[in-house]
Parts: sequence; structure tokens; C-alpha cells
Amino acid sequence: MAISSARESLSHALTNRFLPNLEYLLQGSILDSAVEHLMHRLKGLCDNVDTSPEPFHDLEVCMSLRQSQSNQPLLLRVRRALGRDAPFQMRYLGQPEVDIRRPTLVRSCMDCACTNGILDFLSEMGFRLEFEYIAKGYMFRKGRMKITVSKLIKIVPGKQQDMANEPISQSYIVELSVVAPTGQENVGEEMRVFAEQLKPLVQLEKIDYKRLGNLP
Amino acid sequence: MGVTVLQPYPLPEGKSGAHIIDHLAKRLLSLGATHAGQFLVDCETFISTPQHGTPARAVHVLHNSEYPASTFSIIDNGNGKQVALVADSIFDLLMLKMTSTFTSKKQTKIESRGARFEYGDFVIKLGSVTMMEHFKGILIEIEYRPCVTLSYCWEMIREMLQGFLGINVAKEYPTYFTTQTIMNAMGQQQLHAKQNDIYEPMDTVKQYLEHFTNYRKHVQIHGAMGGGASSVGTVGGGGPGGVLLPSSVGMGGRS
Amino acid sequence: MDKLNLTLTAVKNLRANVRQCFEHLADGTDGEGVDESRNKFVYDFQDRFGAINSQLREVEQLINGLQVPPTAYHLGNTTFLAQETSQDRQALYPQLVNSYKWIDKVHDHSFLAFNNLNQNTLRRSYNYCSQKRQRLPFSSFNNDPDHIEKLLSEINHPPHTFYKVFRPFGSNAVAMVTISNVLKAAIVFKGVLIEWVTIKGYDEQLDHEDLWAESRYEVFRKVQEHAHSAMLHFFSPTLPDLAVKSYVTWLNSHIKLFLEPCKRCSKYIANGLPPTWRDLRTLEPFHEECRNS
Repeated sequence: MAISSARESLSHALTNRFLPNLEYLLQGSILDSAVEHLMHRLKGLCDNVDTSPEPFHDLEVCMSLRQSQSNQPLLLRVRRALGRDAPFQMRYLGQPEVDIRRPTLVRSCMDCACTNGILDFLSEMGFRLEFEYIAKGYMFRKGRMKITVSKLIKIVPGKQQDMANEPISQSYIVELSVVAPTGQENVGEEMRVFAEQLKPLVQLEKIDYKRLGNLP
Repeated sequence: MGVTVLQPYPLPEGKSGAHIIDHLAKRLLSLGATHAGQFLVDCETFISTPQHGTPARAVHVLHNSEYPASTFSIIDNGNGKQVALVADSIFDLLMLKMTSTFTSKKQTKIESRGARFEYGDFVIKLGSVTMMEHFKGILIEIEYRPCVTLSYCWEMIREMLQGFLGINVAKEYPTYFTTQTIMNAMGQQQLHAKQNDIYEPMDTVKQYLEHFTNYRKHVQIHGAMGGGASSVGTVGGGGPGGVLLPSSVGMGGRS
Repeated sequence: MDKLNLTLTAVKNLRANVRQCFEHLADGTDGEGVDESRNKFVYDFQDRFGAINSQLREVEQLINGLQVPPTAYHLGNTTFLAQETSQDRQALYPQLVNSYKWIDKVHDHSFLAFNNLNQNTLRRSYNYCSQKRQRLPFSSFNNDPDHIEKLLSEINHPPHTFYKVFRPFGSNAVAMVTISNVLKAAIVFKGVLIEWVTIKGYDEQLDHEDLWAESRYEVFRKVQEHAHSAMLHFFSPTLPDLAVKSYVTWLNSHIKLFLEPCKRCSKYIANGLPPTWRDLRTLEPFHEECRNS
């Protein structure tokens, strides 16, 4: 039996549609004062009742590479868990599509676990630091849906570990997402139904980044 | 996971690679080893177009069937600095996103594949190296799984190699282990003997890259594929073709 | 149904009266021999006797008045009591004989096993003392917990060996030994006696929860085999501390497991394995095949 190369098995996964490469996303925000209510609601609705809510505290670094043939730079986000020994997570996110017919925002997405040399590796490739922030919050799970309630914290450059870093705003960001292989359109509907159940605490919507102007 | 050593096998005059591999496989089987599947190590190199002042960078992407879910990559920034990375195999797709900056040098795609044998706790792989479907030589991989540092088991591995290959293997540690450089606390490159370090799967991959680079260089020296030789050539550390065996120099020419 | 109830009450009354009558008779007179009391006793008895007679008649009348019920009474679960009591139809007997045979066999076998195991001199922690020669039990397996810690710290081990002692089973200790980058061992103590040794590779997990899983490498499975036989060799009930010390010294000699060739054949590999056996006195390395030849 001949052994197949890694490239062959990867393209096999792509053509047979079991490689999750599309992210369905809904976003919203909630004020600090009301976040407790949302947490209670989520604890009741979600799967991981016995362990929930699962806390996380991640540093996300976004690196960009200028591509010669396009004016859009290639962005890669690297996430590192602070205070926990876990592999680094690298994520590629494609241009978001906001289609009126679809209930959620859809963008192509690739997640890749890496060893800790990744940031050094990317800078040697020519990537430059675009922005970085700390996300601290809680993660919930419902079926294949992932719900995060997190606080975004601004970083004084070079002081990632510093506790003095300030939150960006007086509210939490709430994200509902699913990463699924191509061709699973019912995911969006599933998410819309779940988002309905969180109203009126939080209004989860597909946010069109293009309309937000040139924010990072 | 244990210590792995690569050993190129010199091709005697007038014998085909398939013939030698067949012969070695028979020897292993009569020694008491068992045939345990196939293996494949492949390497693809992506080169960046040099931009104002910065030298060309090379990203070597390797896969090892012993670690099927991982992609190993090593970047060489052209100034002698290397960074190694182990990632999920989806990293391959990310590389394809950068094709406008890093272009794949398809003609240097190289691989070693063949049969895998187990003998006690040893894993022995008889690989035939091919580049662009052209046979380049025989590369033997031997792994002693229970041991994690080379200095402890080198003599064992050496005895095993000499035993079934029937050739003399130098008593010194393989050059890969003695010529590594690391970055010290001051940010300077420093010679570091690796034989007492804990062995990692990345070390196997780096050794393959070293040998693959030697095979490629041969083509570029003997064949007339001059372009880009400098960028790829920096990886091997500049040793002669046969790292372990004086007799292996020049085997590329005979194939 | 009412009639039946009446009859049953009547029978009950009759029985009560008869019992009272007999009690009365048994009590007798107060024994003073006074005529008056004796007469009173006789009258009392006659009264009671008359009452019994009349009640007996009443019962007979009631019984005669009873009709045979048209259907069987529903008696709930109690009906099952009367079902099939004949022993032959229950097939109990063969089962009984079978289990008797089994018990007999088990008894025989356990007796033989017991005798055999008793002859095994290598059994160490529980020394069975026969009733005939009562000996003092070894105190070596209920030592105070600090002793083993002290013992291990006293062993002058080479700088590459690390010990970690923990106690998952109450007072009995487990020592995790890491010998350089070569191997890991878990020594399970019972007091100061070594009960079990597990040997694993440096890159393998040696869980506190699972001290019994074997190594995935052939060489360490072999070393573990040898470690067990050495454990029995070094066993000494009278000098348990010395036994542990010499055992650990022997174990430490595995630091050069892959580095030293066999003393006899001067080769590293035989049958795909390095020299796994270390001589118990000289600590010299041998292949398993070379050690006795």
C-alpha cells in the first residue's frame, strides 16, 4: 500500500468537504452592568453546565504581510493563552461576506495550532505587527456553536503581561460562531434561532466591517 | 519518540537503487526485523523574491509520515538565521495564500520514500530519494525509540548500522549534532553540541532537510541549474555532500 | 363474608376462654386450705367451663350455618404460598447437588493452593505463621512514614538521579525515580519492603494513578522483568533498610543502559536489545542471553 502525501490528504479533505474552513459569525455587545444577566442566561441555555463557564485569557497578535500583486495585505492572527501552557493558535480570516439572504456573516477561516516559534517565524517571513490586544472572558458551547463573552483590553506596546492595561470600553463583546466545512447552510439558521433566545439582553447581528470605515 | 540518525548509502558501481534496497531489506528480515508499513518524507521549498536590500528568504515545508498531522517548516532568512516551526497540516493551505510573495520551487520538490522495518525498539527506514521523479540516492533512517539523547545510544545505533549495512561508520557523532548553532542570551550565534540535548521530531526533519539540500546542490553543481543555489545552499551549513561517509560524495552523479 | 368473620371471632373467643380456664386451673387456690376459697375456685372453674361449652356450641352452630363459597376468595399474594410445594417438581435437588460439588472442589483447590503458596519462600510482606511455631511478625512493613523518606534521602545517589516520594495509598510510599534522561521508575513500598517496580522510558508518562501499565518499549519491559528478580534477590527481612539501599544502588547502575556493551560478548545489541541485565554484585552489564553462559 503506497502512502499518500500530506498534500494529497489535505486536498482530499477539501474536496470531500470535511475540512472546516468557513466561519459563520454573529456579534453584539453588552454593558458591564448587564453582563451578569447574560451569563446566567447562557449558563441555562448552553451545554457545558457542569464546567461552565470556561474562562479564557488570550493575547491576540495580528500580523500583516504586504503582497506584491494585491493591495490588501495578508492578515494572520496569532493567539496565545496567558497563564496556561497551550499551543499557539494561528488564524487566517478571509474577507467577510454579508449576504442579505443569509442570517449570519460568513467568512473563510483557517485555524492552525503551532509551536511557540510562530511569531518569530512570521517576522522572518516579512510579516509586520499590525495590532495586538488581550481578550479575557468566558466561553460557552451549545452543540457546535461557540459563544464567547469577552472583554477586550488595550495593550501598551511591549507590556503584554502588565496588569495595568486598560479595557477598551465599558462593555463586553459577545460573539456567536461556528466553523464548519463548506456547504452546510443550515448552520446559519441554527445560529439565528439561538440568537433570538438571547434577546433582549443582547442583540446579535452580522456586522458589516466595510461600513465601519477604516477601523482596524 | 527517540533519537534518529540519517545515513546515506553509497551506490556501488553498476548497481541500481532498487537492487540495493531489495538487498538491504532481505538482510534486515533475516536479522529478525519485521516489515511495518511504508514511510514518506517530502520537502517543498518556497522562495521569496528579493526586495530592496533584503536577501531572498527560503521557507522549507516538510512532512513526515511518522507525524501525519503535522507540517514542519523551517525559514531561512538569508542571513544565516533559521526559525523552525511545527504546525497543523493546515499550514500548507496558509502557505498557498502567500504565493505572490513566496513562490514554490517546483523543480526542487524532493522526497524520500520506502519501506519501514522494526527490530526490537529500532525503526529502520530504507528510503529512496527522488527529485522530480529522478532517483537521487539511498538515504537510510534509523531510530532508537527508547532513548532521548544521542550521546547515550550513538554507539548502539552505530553498531546496528554497521551490522546490517556492512560499511564502516565513523565513530564521531553525525555532523548534524555537532555543528548546530543556537542563539545565546546576547543574541549572538554560538556553536552548540546537540548530542546531549533531548531529541525532538524537529531534529529528524532538520536532518532530512540537510541531506535533501545536499542532493539538490549536487544537481546544481553538476547539472546546470545555477539559479537560486545560494539561497538554498545556506541551510546545510556548508559541509561536503556525504556528511557521514567520505565515500558517499559523488553518488548523485552516478544515478 | 360476615358469617365467616363471626365464626372466626367466635373461634377466637373460644380459644381465649379455654386459655383463661387453663390459666385459672394452673394458678390453683391461694393454698391456705380454706374451704371457702376452695369452693370459690371450683365455682369459678365450673362457670368458665360452662362458658366454654356454650361457646363451643355457638361455634358449631355458626360453622353449620356457613355456606360453601361459590368462587374462591381472593387472597392477594398469599395465594402463592400454597403453590406447588412438592419437592420433586421444583428440580431443586440436582442444583443443590451441583453447588455442593462446586463448593467441595473450591475447598479442595484453595486448600492445595494455600499449601503451595505457603511453601513459596519469596513471599515477603505477609509472613504466614503457622499455629505450631508462633513467631513474632516482621515489623518491617509497618514502619513509621517518615522512615522511608529518611531512608531515601540517606542513599547517596549520583547527581543524575532524582527521587520524589508520595503516598497515594495512605501510609505506604511510592518513590518516583528518574535516572538521568534514561528511564523512570516507580518503586511501590509497603513499609520499607519493596512491593512492585515499574520501569518506563524517559519520554513516557508514569502516572500516579496508573503505576502498573507496562512500557511501550521492549527494552524497558525487559529491564522491569530484571528489576523484579533483583527485587526478590535483595529482599532481606532482617535488614530491610540495607535491602532498599542496595536495590536502589543496583537500579542506579542503569544510567549507562545504552552506553555500555555486554561484558561477555562486547557487543551492544543482541536480539534488538542492549545489555539489559546488570550483575547483582558487580553491576556489570550483560545481555540476557550472555549472563548465564
